[in-house]
Amino acid sequence: MPDMSAIVNPQQRQFNPYAENGGTILAIAGADFTVIAGDTRQSEGYSIQTRYAPKVFHLTDRAVLAVNGFAADGNMFVKKVKQRLEWYRHAHAKDMPLRAIARLIQTMLYAQRFFPYYVYNILGGIEEDGTGAVYSFDPVGSYEREACRAAGAAQSLVQPFLDNQIYFKNQTPAQGSSHPAHLPLPDVLSIVIDSFTSATERHIEVGDGLEMYIVLAKGRTLPDAVTTLRPQELPSSAGDGERVFVLKRDLKKD
Amino acid sequence: MSIMEHNGGSVIAMAGKDCVAIASDLRLGAGAMTVALNFEKIFPVTDRIYMGLTGLATDIITLRDRFRYLVNMFTIKESRAIEPSTYAHLVSSTLYSRRFGPYFTEPVLAGLERTPSGGFKPYIAGADLIGCLNFAEDFIVAGTASDKLFGVAEGLWEPDLGPEDLFETISQTLLNAVDRDAYSGWGAIVYIITPEKVITRTLKGRMD
Amino acid sequence: MFLTRSEYDRGVNTFSPEGRLFQVEYAIEAIKLGSTTVGIRTQHGVVLGVEKRVQSPLLEASSIEKIMEIDTHLGCAMSGLTADARTMVDHARVTAQNHVFTYDERIKIESVTQAVCDLALRFGESVHDEDAMMSRPFGVALLIAGIDELGPQLYHTDPSGTFVRYDAKAIGSGSEAAQSELQDKWHSQMTLREAQVLVLRVLKQVMEEKLDQHNVQLAEVTTDQGFHILDEIALKEVIDTM
Repeated sequence: MPDMSAIVNPQQRQFNPYAENGGTILAIAGADFTVIAGDTRQSEGYSIQTRYAPKVFHLTDRAVLAVNGFAADGNMFVKKVKQRLEWYRHAHAKDMPLRAIARLIQTMLYAQRFFPYYVYNILGGIEEDGTGAVYSFDPVGSYEREACRAAGAAQSLVQPFLDNQIYFKNQTPAQGSSHPAHLPLPDVLSIVIDSFTSATERHIEVGDGLEMYIVLAKGRTLPDAVTTLRPQELPSSAGDGERVFVLKRDLKKD
Repeated sequence: MSIMEHNGGSVIAMAGKDCVAIASDLRLGAGAMTVALNFEKIFPVTDRIYMGLTGLATDIITLRDRFRYLVNMFTIKESRAIEPSTYAHLVSSTLYSRRFGPYFTEPVLAGLERTPSGGFKPYIAGADLIGCLNFAEDFIVAGTASDKLFGVAEGLWEPDLGPEDLFETISQTLLNAVDRDAYSGWGAIVYIITPEKVITRTLKGRMD
Repeated sequence: MFLTRSEYDRGVNTFSPEGRLFQVEYAIEAIKLGSTTVGIRTQHGVVLGVEKRVQSPLLEASSIEKIMEIDTHLGCAMSGLTADARTMVDHARVTAQNHVFTYDERIKIESVTQAVCDLALRFGESVHDEDAMMSRPFGVALLIAGIDELGPQLYHTDPSGTFVRYDAKAIGSGSEAAQSELQDKWHSQMTLREAQVLVLRVLKQVMEEKLDQHNVQLAEVTTDQGFHILDEIALKEVIDTM
């Protein structure tokens, strides 16, 4: 009979390289503008790590990127995208167009196919033809151009609301009329704010602050209804091109 | 896969001005497979109370019958119709009696409560599968599309809606929520309860 | 003149005391032995033309390939050691495709030119125990023609890795005469057809044989059709209008 006390049972240890840091992002494209928004709460489990961790990033004069999921991956990913944009600027003597950034993000995400960035990306901005555009991505680079998209913790709360308010799903236009393909900026901003206040109300990982980036097409100005909200304009490299504004709002902190 | 999601389906109730509404989808599934598109989940309790049941279909049917029996006994013994708040507690205690072997359903109630002055007050309530009551003043959601329903309802609902506006609000909320839920949908039914009458409308929705 | 080069014209990566890299200079000389190649840029597109030296009546003229496509919107013509150009065009094609793959847009003409020129100075001795990829400079010059968001462009590259943009450029054995003819005749309002005819006239002047659709080749880049080499029927049509 062997001494059983000498036998050591196998043990298993696991390191989980990922975390889920909550929060929600959202982007809506207009005819000649795009709004990209995100809340600023960063949480892990039931703890709030910070009430101000930006998830929306200004990339170029006409591109803004929102990242949601694992914050460490998100921040590193944005850093790498910005580095690639700078290299592109040096190699090709121009800012990378929006659809090129979209494709670049796909190749960068897919390059990590077997150890992915645990991040959902939404890219918004102005296309080469002057139209507003939103591109949404999954963590391994599958992407699509859309008119609107919500992602993150409260995606399931916000997306069906957007289907109804942006795409007019389940609504029948009055006889002889039709639904608009794009909404004006003040309407879009109201929908964004409503989406986030709703998500804050019903989701514990959403709240604290709201940052809305507005990208305006070349030659366009903010409507008065938006100017009164006092958005902050971000510096642009060329004075006569697209313009980027930021609007900040408080969200409930409970 | 969760037993609460096996058959799919969602219910929502909303309070309005002197009226309430309750609505559900019509799908019955077995996992990802759709079995029927006429599976009603909302049942009349009295002339002024309707109850929606989400969760496991067999328990929905069992509880429907069980509550009908309990309400009939109440009506006979008390010689009066049960009030929504009383019924809510009946539901709660019945579910809690099965605390350690529960029915896998989450009920949603909508009704008009008689006030001391003789008028009617909107009354909506929800419960979890062991009978923990939730008295909300705005809306109650349950089922596989509950998170979607929360999001849309929170965006669309406003206080003191009249019957027709409440119908529009609850219908839009339900349809847009179930369209983003694979386990709910395939048509919908809406009940609007007013002091005078109950309006029943079947909605055409996406069949995919 | 050649006496001073005796010690410094061997190694490809050794400067002479005067600060010259003789192997690179010799490579540039090699181009002047090549057949004449002409490129003209207009507002509407770019035209490339090459002379094909058909040394024997038994030679299949159509097998001489001196104009090559790089991507749908650009191509190049060459003069010098045309075999070296294959390496460069291969690199240009991979660069262009990689750009489309990564950025979902057409690469700029200057970027392709830069990529090709980056390759030009990769000769020299190996580092540590790695094998050297190239033993000598390329002996070929390219005229790279294309259209991008900046419009029609024509670039010239040489073995030193230098690239310059031109309105009209001739390279190869007859380049001196051809270049002065281009300088006389080129103007900014040229049509594409006028450019085609001018390319042929310039080639005709410097060619020993009589120019026909077998011993020259024309290509053009236009906004509508992108890069395309003219077939013999289209080429003959242009020759007939000369």
